[in-house]
Amino acid sequence: MNAQHGKESVTSSPLGGRLVEGASAGQVADTVGAIWLEIDDALHPIIGRRGMAALYNRSLSLTAAAHPWLAAGYEGTLSAVDTAALKSALASQTAAEARAGGSALFQSFHGLLTSLVGASLTDRLLHSVWKHSAGASSAQDTNS
Amino acid sequence: MNTKATIKRLATRVPGLDEVLGGGLPEFSFNLIAGQPGCGKTTLANQIMFALATPERPAIYFTVLGEPPLKMLRYQQQFDYFDSDALNRSVRFISLSDDAMTGDFDRVLKRITDEVAAHNPGLVFVDSFRSVVMAGENGGNPLGLQLFVQQLGMLMTSWQATTFLVGEYFSETDANPVFTVADGLIWLRQSVQRNSMVRQIEILKMRGQATQPGLHTFRIDKAGIRVFAPAASVASVDRTADVPVEGDRARVGVPALDTMLGGGLPRGYSLLVAGPSGSGKSILAASFLAEGVRVGETGVVAVFEQNPKRSRNPVLRDLIARGQVALIDSRQPDLCIDEIVLLILNEVRRIKASRVVLDSLSGFELALAPTFRPDFRESLLGLVTALARAGVTVLMTSELEDRYTDLRFSPYGAAFLTDAIVVQRYIEVDSRLLRVMAVVKVRASAHSNELRLYSIGEDGISVGDMLPEQEGLLGGRPTRKRIGGSPVPPGDGVPQ
Repeated sequence: MNAQHGKESVTSSPLGGRLVEGASAGQVADTVGAIWLEIDDALHPIIGRRGMAALYNRSLSLTAAAHPWLAAGYEGTLSAVDTAALKSALASQTAAEARAGGSALFQSFHGLLTSLVGASLTDRLLHSVWKHSAGASSAQDTNS
Repeated sequence: MNTKATIKRLATRVPGLDEVLGGGLPEFSFNLIAGQPGCGKTTLANQIMFALATPERPAIYFTVLGEPPLKMLRYQQQFDYFDSDALNRSVRFISLSDDAMTGDFDRVLKRITDEVAAHNPGLVFVDSFRSVVMAGENGGNPLGLQLFVQQLGMLMTSWQATTFLVGEYFSETDANPVFTVADGLIWLRQSVQRNSMVRQIEILKMRGQATQPGLHTFRIDKAGIRVFAPAASVASVDRTADVPVEGDRARVGVPALDTMLGGGLPRGYSLLVAGPSGSGKSILAASFLAEGVRVGETGVVAVFEQNPKRSRNPVLRDLIARGQVALIDSRQPDLCIDEIVLLILNEVRRIKASRVVLDSLSGFELALAPTFRPDFRESLLGLVTALARAGVTVLMTSELEDRYTDLRFSPYGAAFLTDAIVVQRYIEVDSRLLRVMAVVKVRASAHSNELRLYSIGEDGISVGDMLPEQEGLLGGRPTRKRIGGSPVPPGDGVPQ
């Protein structure tokens, strides 16, 4: 079950490949925060910090439907991405739930960006972040 | 050895734009793309960028406060020229909105400088420039703009970057300092008349080269922008001297008419066939193309019928089906004459055609956007000139309202534009409506002056005799010639 979940998230979320088995909620929170910084670095030069913050907030709001505790991660900052609240919200969950919520958040962000600029451009823009994660899990990911 | 600086011209690969620019964009030039919202500035900028950017000559596209970058990426990728793979390789989008929001020109300039220094681009775009100005105005720094532009211009030239400022609705009369600094001013407009909208581009200024003056129509479709360069400039680079032709006269395929023309229509001439509705103009035009095919020449026919479903001449239909005649049946709304010329010349080039038919000028006029109609005569001259330069022989038909009080050949005064004219008319003889035709002119060539009866049958047009015993034919109601001073009504059968 766990392995299956991990494999699924490799293709759609950058989280799975970066976490060791049995990572604590705190480790999940740190990894999620680090990945968001990477995404921000990849996108804010193109769409601006405010544009990036808007997408981040929208992703949180979309994902909170399935993981209500994620709503606490939403600080309402409009000018830049701020992951502090998200990280503390993640750290207060169980490791499994933090992992599931974090993955879902990246998936909805990916989906959001895809709906706006298309799959090929999204892959192009997020390539470095997602590739980094896929590389770490290449033992599991035999498809690519 | 020539020690002058050589200005390299970059081919934008926007169809028609390089011709209008006078050979492309000068490298390291500082250009302004201006116009109202929605007139295609961003599209033009992106199309130029994707065409010119290479990994060796990368481009940076700075977005300021205008269109949000996400939206721009969303819509621009719909165009064929957009290449996702180029992103972050040869093409880099950078948002300046955070800096621009402060209203501090220096900060924006600093940011641009830093990015340019970091990435060393050969092409720089700032979109939109108006937003920079507005942000600056909010900051209350009136001198800032001029300084900003001057510094940016200087900086970019020193960095050997060809630069484009994309700006919204500057008024032309506005003594905007940007205009003085810029090497090139590219103005995009939309001309709206009734329900028709025509996009036009004008190169107001391009240092160091002769551009095509005036407004040039362009379209935006899936492939991006297509500019229709003036007909004459297109044709001059498109000589079709290699078109295979036989003899120095193009026969029209009606033997008696060919004789009347002095042995056919001289090659490269344009013939106007004028006549009332139903007089057989289109049949003559089809015969002209069929005769060409018979002797191994191909042709192009442009039809401007209001009803595309109307069954076409069967001869012509077969020629089109066999690919010996190319059909241009433009249903595009709001045509401009340069676009038609381009369509025709493309087909002429494609099938190496030597004969072109325009059927009819009346339909053509209606197909044009209203904004071009007042200039129809000039446009027609441009069209005839362009086709003549391309070396093709042209037949045009013109609907002529039958007025028996005057002898007219074309409602457009197009008669003087053409090298040859054939006029067709109805006359009434013996309670019958008969048709007559005559060759009115063939420039620099002997031709018949006979007014001949003709009929239209299964095999097309057959030309008959003159009516020497009748006079006043052009009045539509001829009378028998007078014998002994008293007029005899036609059909009396009095032997002469």
